Amino acid sequence: MLEIIREYGLMLLIGEYPHGKLGGLALTLIISIVSLAVTFPCAILIALARTGQSRPLKAIASGFVHSVRAIPLLMLIFWAYFALPMAIGFPIDATYTLIIAIVVYQAAYLGEIIAAGIQGLPNGQVEAAKALGLGYVPTTFRVILPQAIFNVIPGIVNQLTTIIKESSLGSIIAVSELSYVMLQVNSNEVTKPLQIFGILAATYFILCFALSQATNWLERRIANRRTGRVLVEVIA
Amino acid sequence: MIEFQGVSKWFGPLKVIKEISATVDKGTTIVLCGPSGSGKSTLVRTVNRLESIQEGTITVGGMDINAKSVNVNTLRTGIGFIFQQFNLFPHLTVIDNVMLPLRRIHKQSRKEALPAALLMLERVGLADKANSLPADISGGQSQRVAIARSLILKPEVLILDEPTSALDPEMVSEVLKLLRQLSGEGITMMCVTHEMGFAREVADRIWFLKNGALTFDAKPELFFSSGTHPDVRGFLSSIQKNH
Repeated sequence: MLEIIREYGLMLLIGEYPHGKLGGLALTLIISIVSLAVTFPCAILIALARTGQSRPLKAIASGFVHSVRAIPLLMLIFWAYFALPMAIGFPIDATYTLIIAIVVYQAAYLGEIIAAGIQGLPNGQVEAAKALGLGYVPTTFRVILPQAIFNVIPGIVNQLTTIIKESSLGSIIAVSELSYVMLQVNSNEVTKPLQIFGILAATYFILCFALSQATNWLERRIANRRTGRVLVEVIA
Repeated sequence: MIEFQGVSKWFGPLKVIKEISATVDKGTTIVLCGPSGSGKSTLVRTVNRLESIQEGTITVGGMDINAKSVNVNTLRTGIGFIFQQFNLFPHLTVIDNVMLPLRRIHKQSRKEALPAALLMLERVGLADKANSLPADISGGQSQRVAIARSLILKPEVLILDEPTSALDPEMVSEVLKLLRQLSGEGITMMCVTHEMGFAREVADRIWFLKNGALTFDAKPELFFSSGTHPDVRGFLSSIQKNH
């Protein structure tokens, strides 16, 4: 195992960079972060449409959510990879294709999570904002969303780790992210699949586990601030 | 200042406000009381359009509040509204709660809004809690912050929907003390409450509602006298039994 890491470690981290395209773990991280960054505002719009007053917007948003949830991500990737370039008339880089597919897919799920956060708020919060004379924008962005998003942080992190794991599907359309790199290593080394895919699994595990731990910590910190409890550090 | 003319409201088939006509003079304090389900809360909520009405007109300062030309948010900035459950924004500190209307409606910067907000907190006796979060202060203090927040835009009308009903008994008096003070300062007030001592002392008129109708509208002297409306007598004795 160590031997594989010694030989392919750099490739695992950055792919063929600087001689070729950036790949490996670095690309996985970039894809995940960019996907989440684009997904988040889309998801907020979907959540606002789902919980808002406008019937047409509600219908569009729920149509989108129900359609996307009923198809596998892999199929969305195929669509984006094979059908989208034909529809728009020019080819798109596979990495972008993957990001587009993940964003479309995750926006539906994350949108539902944020919508649940909005619906879970006491009605009095919206009423108080209304009674003060606040319009839709300040009520939404200063009163509703800060509370709703905070309440669904665990769900959001869950989706983030899902995005990291889903980026591995990029290997099917030759996006040279972590899984694709390890597939290549496996074809070079033919006889060591156990070690190679062991390393792959461990890398994903460390990434996702660290992320959820970091978020737990962050969540506790905010919760303590909001409920006024002082975090007591135990000095051993 | 506030005028109800033949106001009716239905929740589905249920008529919850029945042809109410009454006037609240500028600078006076009206206390609304009556059994639960009598429509007191619904009636006060129609004044800032938290509830719509189906019949009649309501005017505030001479303006028909349900007219198409009225901007509901502008209307609401002129009417402070206090809820039973305070409804402070839990993610904002006390001072940020009070500053919110200044910052988001008057578009003031934090720096511009701070002095007025601090002054308002001083007025309700909570300047030392400015940086606390709502979770860190008591119910009575929360309600005083809510009052400060609703007064920050200097409304001419203050509406209170059972402001002390969610409070522990020992905290009721601090809120009532503040309301007494405000009432003396000439703001027009409509207050739904079961605090009859407060009503007797502060109210200019007391409205008694039953089954959605305004059955009795009297000065406190008459309201609490032996010559009062028979429904009021029954109501008062039922409250006294519980105390």
